[in-house]
Parts: sequence; structure tokens; C-alpha cells
Amino acid sequence: MHTFLTRGNALLTFTLSVLAGLTFFCFLSTGLNAYSATATIDTVKVLVKNVPDYSAQKEKQDLGYLMFDLQANLNPLFNWNAKQLFVFLTAEYESPDNKLNQVVLWDKIIQRGENANLDMKNMNTNYYFWDDGNGLRGNPNVTLTLSWNVIPNAGMLSIVRGSGSHTFSFPNEYTNVRAQ
Amino acid sequence: MVLNIATHMDYEGQHLAEKLSHIIVVVFGVIGWIIGYVNQQFSQTIMVLGVGVLIAAIVTLPPWPMYRRKPLSWRKPRKEVTTDVSKPEKEVVVSASKPKKKNK
Repeated sequence: MHTFLTRGNALLTFTLSVLAGLTFFCFLSTGLNAYSATATIDTVKVLVKNVPDYSAQKEKQDLGYLMFDLQANLNPLFNWNAKQLFVFLTAEYESPDNKLNQVVLWDKIIQRGENANLDMKNMNTNYYFWDDGNGLRGNPNVTLTLSWNVIPNAGMLSIVRGSGSHTFSFPNEYTNVRAQ
Repeated sequence: MVLNIATHMDYEGQHLAEKLSHIIVVVFGVIGWIIGYVNQQFSQTIMVLGVGVLIAAIVTLPPWPMYRRKPLSWRKPRKEVTTDVSKPEKEVVVSASKPKKKNK
């Protein structure tokens, strides 16, 4: 502490320790937050095709196609320790091959300050709804749910499944692939 | 060179400077945390803390006169220094100075 530089060094290191403590208390103030919200999901159009996924193999597989509506107000999830939300729509179903299939169909990053009150109509999926066999045609019980990660400034990366789901069934007939 | 400018404080001044800087930084940190919690903006916490660091730097980094009030009173240097190693007196002096270090 006897020269200018040692005092500056001591001040900066102490400040960093204080900042770490403040960040930790910021995490503590939000650590018990449940980050729950309700999502209303509906399907507009549901088709199933039987086409080869050339990126994997040449055999034909079931490819689901759907358009969906989604309403969810995620604004209450944001607090001073929430930097952004990663929201994703998951389809869950049982097929003869697998007890549980989970396919992510759509996702969105909502940053702090952006409008998190989602109200979407006739949305297309971001990702293909491939089954690894023929488990989609006539499947009576496919459930769509909305989940999200809350990315914090400090602390745990929480993953939350929203309450509210939508169950639909795929048609019994394949839709012919266009321009074949 | 710039670093050769005398920036030292006396011992009590150093203690006071460290205590002051800790108090200022912690107080601004707590105030910033409360402001950030109320406004739900952690960036405001960091900015208030930064203001506290600036103030602490201005108050405690330069060797203000308040940190140099109690300088150590050194003995005046002797004018004639005799360095005769062969004298037995010198050994007595060396052995006498050893217990002093232990006391510190």
C-alpha cells in the first residue's frame, strides 16, 4: 500500500471480489424462481409423407408436416438475472420402435428487452419432423409442448417445460409427394 | 521517470487509505445492488460500483497530505561511520540486533 501502483492494484482486486459477491447475491435473489408460464398451442394443418431422408439412408421414412398456432406470454420470465430465453417446441409420441420419441420442431431466441409475448398464427416448423421408421402415419397421440431455457447472468441454466400442451393425431393416409 | 515521484504514505496513512477504499467500494456496491434490484437491471449495479471505484481511487490513490501526517522519525545519520571489521565490538552489535527481529 505504500506506492501508487500497489494501492491501485489493491483497489482493483478488492473491487473484483466485491463484484463477484454482488453477482452471487444477484443469483441468490433469483435462484428460487420457478420461471413457469402457460402456452396455448394448436395445430392448423397436419400431413404425413413417406419419403427417403437422403441425409441418412435411402429407405423411406415418415415425415410429418404441420402448421401451428402458438400463444404464450413469456414477459414475466425476465428479471435482472435473465439475459435471454431459448424457447423450443417439442413433439412427443410413442411409436412401435420407441417408447418415447422427442423431436424439436421449432425454436426461438428472445433476448432481454424484446417482446416476449408470443402470438403466432400458421407457423411453419423450423426443423423436419422425421420419424426413424414408420411411426407417424395414423399415430393417434402426438403431444406438442413448449419449453424454454433461461440463460442467466450468473447461476444455473434452468430448463422449464411450460404448462399447456396440445395433442393431435396424424392422418391414416400418406400425402403424395409433389412433383415426383 | 514518472515512477520515481514520491508517492509513499506513512504507515498509519496506508492503513487509513486501505480502510477508506474498502468502505467506499462496499458502500457503493450495496447501494448499486439495491438500485439494480429495484430497477431489475444488473448493469446499473455495475455502473454504481464503477462510480464507487472512481471515488475510492481519487480519495485513496494519490498521497494526499492526510496520509502523511505521521512520518517515521528516523535517527539522524552519523557523520563518521567507522567500519572496522576486525574489532570485536562489531560482533556484539550484530548479536544484539538479532533479538529485535524476533520481537517483530
